[in-house]
Amino acid sequence: MSKKSIYILFVLFFLAAVVLIIVRFNAKQNKKENERYTLLERRGISAQTTEWIHTKSQAYNYLNNLEKNPNDEKSNLGLATLFIKEARISGNYVYYDMAAMKYVNNVLKIDSNNFEANLYKAVLYLSQHHFAYGLAIAQKAQQINPYNAFVYGILVDGNVEMGYYDSAVANSDRMVSVRPDLSSYSRISYLREIYGDYPGSIAAMKMAVDAGAPGEEATEWTRVQLGQLYERTGDLKNAEMHYTIALDERPQYAYALAGLGRIAMSTKDYNKAIEYYLKADSIVSDNSFKEELVDVYSLKGQNDKSQNAAKTVIDNLNKDASKGNIDESIGHYADRELAYAYLKVNDYDKALEHAMVEYNRRPENIDVNETVAWVNYKKGDYTNALKYIAPALKTKCKNPVLLCRAGLIYYKAGNKQLAKTYLQDGLINNPNINYQLKDESAKTLRSLL
Amino acid sequence: MEQGKLNVQRHQFFCFIILLFLSSVAFGHTINYSLEKAPTGNVIWYYLKLGYSHILPQGFDHILFVAGLCLLSQKIKVIIWQATAFTVAHSITLTLSMKNIIVAPSAVVEPIIALSILFVAIENMLISELKPWRILVVFMFGLIHGLGFASALNEIGLPRNKFAVSILSFNLGVELGQITIILLMFILIISPLGKKTWYRKSVVFPLSIIIGLIALYWTIQRIFFV
Repeated sequence: MSKKSIYILFVLFFLAAVVLIIVRFNAKQNKKENERYTLLERRGISAQTTEWIHTKSQAYNYLNNLEKNPNDEKSNLGLATLFIKEARISGNYVYYDMAAMKYVNNVLKIDSNNFEANLYKAVLYLSQHHFAYGLAIAQKAQQINPYNAFVYGILVDGNVEMGYYDSAVANSDRMVSVRPDLSSYSRISYLREIYGDYPGSIAAMKMAVDAGAPGEEATEWTRVQLGQLYERTGDLKNAEMHYTIALDERPQYAYALAGLGRIAMSTKDYNKAIEYYLKADSIVSDNSFKEELVDVYSLKGQNDKSQNAAKTVIDNLNKDASKGNIDESIGHYADRELAYAYLKVNDYDKALEHAMVEYNRRPENIDVNETVAWVNYKKGDYTNALKYIAPALKTKCKNPVLLCRAGLIYYKAGNKQLAKTYLQDGLINNPNINYQLKDESAKTLRSLL
Repeated sequence: MEQGKLNVQRHQFFCFIILLFLSSVAFGHTINYSLEKAPTGNVIWYYLKLGYSHILPQGFDHILFVAGLCLLSQKIKVIIWQATAFTVAHSITLTLSMKNIIVAPSAVVEPIIALSILFVAIENMLISELKPWRILVVFMFGLIHGLGFASALNEIGLPRNKFAVSILSFNLGVELGQITIILLMFILIISPLGKKTWYRKSVVFPLSIIIGLIALYWTIQRIFFV
């Protein structure tokens, strides 16, 4: 065979390979479009509730309707709603967000101005931490229907995450005026916390809990948030009480179990804490439980277990984030979480890399600034730590973790007066925060007195 | 009947290819909010470094591609022309992609990038001197690589008020990265060994085989295992 023939064959082979890649992708897309997402079996006691039976029956009906008429908007949206709720209950955001997105997109293909579909799409983007897009779509939904309270809730969430706090407050005021309920009160509580008003935040969160039906996931989630506010203000008795109530109302509720785990940590009952975290982790797949395990294993001197748990968190976060490479409608931005996860394995360069990726997305957000500042502090770059901690404090938030970190950064940067103020404020009520941070802060404060 | 069905399928396939590259916004591109407030000089420096580091040291596939381009000619001018055609092409698709005018899924772009490296490696072995169409081929591949750069740049995002300057800086950084590889290839391989009688047999062939094998591995991996 002549060289020319070989060359022609080679070019043909190349073109065939390109066609294969496109055909294969096309086939995958078709398969995905025709994929029938169903509910996955729940774990733990939540699989034995009547609510689960009802949810399964609803999903069955919606799927049957869609078999007959794939363009049935009501069933598409109904199914999307079920999947969004189930994501929170199960912690399996990757699967359920993808499933919900498919049904939301089905509706948007028929009617791009469908209010609910736009709203759910915004919710899904926020859930995946694509905050700018989530906010943009929520703004579109608001233009379609400015009289719906829920859309203002999504706008609050999006604005808070992007760091546009004034807009978030305006949206929250509008939300509560349209519909004073659990959702609006809890958002008011969150904003009050951001602006440093813990008594006001606790009062609003209590109203949110009272506005919800006991035992429902949203109510118990809110109750756990109330418990956390008590933890941050050092009122561990009230925190424990609310976690216990949440468990009574919703047995084996993972977030309440984790709350009790933190209470056990505060009394140095590490075995009990591990028991609670492991139980919570077996019910809901949430990396925050594994992160708590990293700390408690470390405190117990079980460094291998601690490092393994930290690596699992990093692997899980990277895996979730990489889903976006396969399916570009989904893919969790987990850079802030990854920054903290890499800090736990002392990989400061990776931590900074991820922190900066998140900072580039939302430089106005106080939590993101705090993350960048803290990573720089851990790296020993106190100049940069100082640069980012100042904007993190702009709302005068009194979160003890933030205040302690700020105090430590100002101390290393040589501003002892501010260091003392922030450390005193951070430790004032003996809040239940990370033991190492608390210990380091207390020692530094003692050296300043 | 069957023929009609086949025609419809063909029609759907070609429509799909067109739609694939002229996609509606499935997923918007990231905005870099922090750099919107930064001075222009900082933005230029930031994206210049980003573009450079996207080739050296992070872009192993691009390094192999450029190294492959260097093996067929011993004239640095010709090699730089190829690299420039590549840069012009990827600048076009990168800009269009960041503007959401063209959006191609990475599941298609990444395997084709690997395949393009394989193409260059095999072509190096099949032909002994640079043909005029090589520039065109490199340009076509540049268009594809630009779509790949877009997904990487999307991680960082672009400031809306300095879009042009940031994307130009990124492209310039990429070009500088490529020129670095070309210079290294020239200094380390082409200049000292290019005139030897055994150059093609003992340098071009083995290097092309290594590049080709790595590219083949990536092609298979990116098509079947991602």
